[in-house]
Amino acid sequence: MNFLTLLGVELKKIRRSRILLILGIAAVLLWLPSILNAHLNFDMQAEGISPEHNFFIQGFMGMAWFMFPASMVIGTVLLGQTERSNHGILRMLALPVSTAKLCMAKYIVLLTLAAVQMAMMTGMYFISAAIASQTQDYEFLLPPLFVLKEVLLMYVSAVPMTAFFWMLSVCIQTPIFSVGIGLASIVPSVLMINTRMWFVYPMDYPFYVITAKYGELASNLTETEMELIPWLPVAVGFTGVCMAVAVVCFGRSERR
Amino acid sequence: MNTILEYKKIKRTGVLPGCLLGGCLAAFVPILELAVRSEQYVGISKPPLQIILQADWQMMAMLNMLLVIVISCMMYHSEYADNAIQRITTLPVREEEIFIGKTILLAGMCIVLLVIEMLSLIFCTLHWFGGADGAFIKDLLQNFGYSFCMLLPVAIISLMAASAWKNMWIPLGIDVVCVFMATMIPVKYFALSIFPFALPFQILEGAKAGKVVSYLIAAAAEVLLIGAAEMIFLKVRRSLA
Repeated sequence: MNFLTLLGVELKKIRRSRILLILGIAAVLLWLPSILNAHLNFDMQAEGISPEHNFFIQGFMGMAWFMFPASMVIGTVLLGQTERSNHGILRMLALPVSTAKLCMAKYIVLLTLAAVQMAMMTGMYFISAAIASQTQDYEFLLPPLFVLKEVLLMYVSAVPMTAFFWMLSVCIQTPIFSVGIGLASIVPSVLMINTRMWFVYPMDYPFYVITAKYGELASNLTETEMELIPWLPVAVGFTGVCMAVAVVCFGRSERR
Repeated sequence: MNTILEYKKIKRTGVLPGCLLGGCLAAFVPILELAVRSEQYVGISKPPLQIILQADWQMMAMLNMLLVIVISCMMYHSEYADNAIQRITTLPVREEEIFIGKTILLAGMCIVLLVIEMLSLIFCTLHWFGGADGAFIKDLLQNFGYSFCMLLPVAIISLMAASAWKNMWIPLGIDVVCVFMATMIPVKYFALSIFPFALPFQILEGAKAGKVVSYLIAAAAEVLLIGAAEMIFLKVRRSLA
């Protein structure tokens, strides 16, 4: 079976899981307070950020710090548990399919879910910015290219984090530990982005990217440089290690 | 009796070490915070408990909540995983009793969590603020009693969500979305801040007495309401199944 077919199969498996509904609800709920409190964006003169930028940054910050990583943890549970119940995974492992490919296909599905959530968030951003522009009589919409570039950067920076969550769910069989470690690792990212060693903690990358943008847009805040040099090798190495461990561990406990 | 049975069921699922580890993690937050930047806090002329709680309780409450959610999902997941729940429905046991047993067990785990955190606060006060007298201990006990009451609605509502769905990810997803919602609720509206997932962020220290009482009433009302809703839900599901 080639990789694309395998990917199609994996996508079909989660078709009826209603995960898109949950992701959609999260996206709507995230922007709702922003629309209702749109007038607060005009009080940000102290930071020296324009209201439309503040609207964009605050919304995406809320997502990047908790909702987005947590959705990825939930996604790993979805991918793991749907197949573990009724021993579907045993049948998959009995097929003449390479387990490494299977593992990678599932990881790609997880990344697809992340992409879908990002797309939903961006769509909701444009809708809510349009609504806020109407209610506040002020143009909140930013140029689409600017928004898309930032979202894309956030998405790419989330790849190492996703790989880490995927490795947790593959290697740790008891869901309480994989989910617990995943969710607990999100919480300290607020502390980690303020340290100089932020790049060793992949869970804070998306949050760091958006915070750096905030510093760049707000003239009165200290600008945080995004140095690619220690970051990029660390991120690539981390992703590689996580994926290698996941591929090695995949299906190990079932095959015993 | 039911609670002991429930305890036996989850003994080997790793919930107990998870609970202890999670408690230690949350307890580590104030210690780390004080170790790194104690000079910011030591000078403030407030009761030490208030300083520590105002600085760190948000994060600790969030960790507590996430842990309670995961444990509640696990409690029902272990029933659903290999269709054990079907066997239970054929036994002369009411599903409501199982739910109550699980609730009591989860409440017990909340106490374990809070006790671990309480110990860490005692340590912090002794180490950085020098000395803890009788009034401090009384304050601490009151605070954690209050936090326990605030955590109960989350425990019972997440157990309810966990009992409703077979696949673990749906209740987990709903709960996490709710936690996220709670972090975004502005504090000034009382009606919004009694959302069950927003309650654990409340702290007793430095709050007005009237507000405390109304939060306690709200928490009690939520526990009763959600409990009643779950009883009705189980009855309806059984009659429809």
